[in-house]
Amino acid sequence: MTFIDRLLKNAPLATRREITPKLGFALTVLLALVWLIPFLWMGVATLRPASDGINLMAELMPSLRPTLDNVRDAWEIGDFPRYFINTTIICSGILLVQFVTITLAGFAFARLDFAGKTPIFYLFLMQLMLVPVLLIVPNLRIVAQFGLYDTLTGVMMPFFASAFGTFLMRQAFEAIPTELEDAALIDGASLLQRIRHIYVPLSLPSFSAFAIISVTSHWNDFLWPLMVINSPDKRPLTVGLSVFTATAEGTQAWGTIAAGTLMVIAPLLITFLIFQKRFISSFVTSGIK
Amino acid sequence: MLFSRRLMLGLAMAGTMAGALAVPAMAEGPTEIDLFFPVPVDGKLARDMGTLIKEFNDGHPDIKATAVYTGSYDDTLIKTRAAIKAGKPPAAVIMSANFLLDMQIENELTNLDNLIAADGGSKEKFLGQFFPALQGNAVINRSVYGVPFHNSTPLLYINADKAKEAGLDPNKPPQTWAELTDWAKKLTKREGDKVTQWGIAIPCAYDYCGWMMETLTMSNGGRYYNEEFGGEVYYDTPSMLGALTWWNDLVHKHKVHAPGATPGPAVSTSFISGNAAMMMLSTGSLTYVRDNAKFNYKVAFIPRNVRNAVPIGGASLIIPAGLEADKQKAAWTLIKWMTSPEKSAWWSRATGYFAPNMAAYKTPDMIDFLNKNPDAKTAVEQLDVAKPWFATYKTVPVRKNLEDEVMLVLNGKKQPKEALVAAQKAADETLKPYNAETSLRLP
Repeated sequence: MTFIDRLLKNAPLATRREITPKLGFALTVLLALVWLIPFLWMGVATLRPASDGINLMAELMPSLRPTLDNVRDAWEIGDFPRYFINTTIICSGILLVQFVTITLAGFAFARLDFAGKTPIFYLFLMQLMLVPVLLIVPNLRIVAQFGLYDTLTGVMMPFFASAFGTFLMRQAFEAIPTELEDAALIDGASLLQRIRHIYVPLSLPSFSAFAIISVTSHWNDFLWPLMVINSPDKRPLTVGLSVFTATAEGTQAWGTIAAGTLMVIAPLLITFLIFQKRFISSFVTSGIK
Repeated sequence: MLFSRRLMLGLAMAGTMAGALAVPAMAEGPTEIDLFFPVPVDGKLARDMGTLIKEFNDGHPDIKATAVYTGSYDDTLIKTRAAIKAGKPPAAVIMSANFLLDMQIENELTNLDNLIAADGGSKEKFLGQFFPALQGNAVINRSVYGVPFHNSTPLLYINADKAKEAGLDPNKPPQTWAELTDWAKKLTKREGDKVTQWGIAIPCAYDYCGWMMETLTMSNGGRYYNEEFGGEVYYDTPSMLGALTWWNDLVHKHKVHAPGATPGPAVSTSFISGNAAMMMLSTGSLTYVRDNAKFNYKVAFIPRNVRNAVPIGGASLIIPAGLEADKQKAAWTLIKWMTSPEKSAWWSRATGYFAPNMAAYKTPDMIDFLNKNPDAKTAVEQLDVAKPWFATYKTVPVRKNLEDEVMLVLNGKKQPKEALVAAQKAADETLKPYNAETSLRLP
């Protein structure tokens, strides 16, 4: 109980003697351990020499002779720095344009009056119901027509508008009292100035919540970049990684795969660890749980 | 207006980036072609593919081929189709051999007859280079649509050390299902209710599951589909019911096969780790087993219930429809080079797939290799009883209609008969449009 007691040091006095919060903490610790196991395994497998053979592969016990051979293999098989740059360009490019489009669209749906506003909004939301696979061929045809086949811009293009983001911003903007905007209007602020100085700063938690969702989903996207990209030097991380994970009739080199996976998720993981508090608070305040 | 300025800067940067990336490679000189390839083996072979293509480019200064990795066999089909529909067909694709029929029905393939004729050879002579069992998946309506590149048959892998331990003779592998069941029972070890060693493992994941069902059905005397016509599959038949019942019995009655649908890599991993004493797997895994097994192993024919028969697997090289003439020509040069005896022999040694070109087995390197690794001969010997891989209109959905049901059976959620009835119903529905246009369109 001492460990839990230590965790409870900061708990409000009234709850310190109750059993429920302690159980809650215990459960959280347990869940965290379960969640950690795959990461531990990945770390151990990465450092385990291939000579240990597949027999020990399932074990969580680290090898006594850790080696970086797997990391070196993975690094040599895939051009990881290039994949990193490509994925970063894709994710940040999409996010930048999305910020503009969802702010403007969200504002239009929240505050402007125009004919057919509600039906158009529902049409917009319907996009969320479509499975992305369904849109591969039409999207690819449009991308090719724009001359963007086999380009990173082509990978980004279909995501420049986001139904989810628009919905999220509409909800956030609607929660902002109109009095604030009225005051700015009296001061002579233009439409864009009102959005910039009132709506955007007050909705920052929603923006960061959306940024997290957008970046993680595009960071992990495999099928669409696979469709658009042909040139090996334009591959994002997911496609690059799958070169040595996807197998049809063959088998897998687990150590190399673990090392490659670690390299792919490391940037996201590190970012999360650094900004952990902000991530969580932005989700809490934006109402997404 | 800080936001706007930043925004403009961002947009300007994005624009520059887009501009820089969108510049098409306009160059006089070599014909640039893409070869789409799935990776059927581990990442080292993706690198080997790079080596192969570099060698081709060095020897053909007028062509610049790029190897484009395209995921699994199923992903490769999706990407190829999407690229064709977007007007950007690749020049050549290493395509799962059983997708050719569906692509031909959809007019997505180049008929290779003219290219063969332009070389001055006859169709018969060209096809004569390859093992006869492979021709069924390459020839449609008497025209050539694919060139076999790497092929496989399922094999029975046996841990010889464990067999000896259990008092079985690994040099006399089981030849019938009855013997195999008996072996599996003797090779399963239990501690109380817990199984510490499974007798046999058979993979069942998308793609693999359908292939194993065809394997078992064929060795039970049956057929998976109508080889002459792409609109019929035979899921609800006695031969397939017998096959699925036997598989189900291994899992739920004899308890010598782990329950649930196991993917291929998990099967090979559990064989290598000694967790499963036997497995049915593609010859494509042979190199992996040879490199990783710390015990003596044997490979054998797939045992029969009624007859010895197996389907082929693997991939053929195809040229999609809608290519410019110069790219088509360059692709043909590449395909002929890749399927030559030397190159296909090299690829076979690297992967474990067998070389489809019969002359590959007469090359000195290959003769040497087979002397050192006699286990690589089994798949080739088994070709005598091999037949085409199932291929129908909409092969993938029709295959999944069956696979989804088989997985339910292995998970203990359905009985074989009701699963096959459901699979047949679903497949008939998927095949309906094609049948309406062909066999049911009456004059």
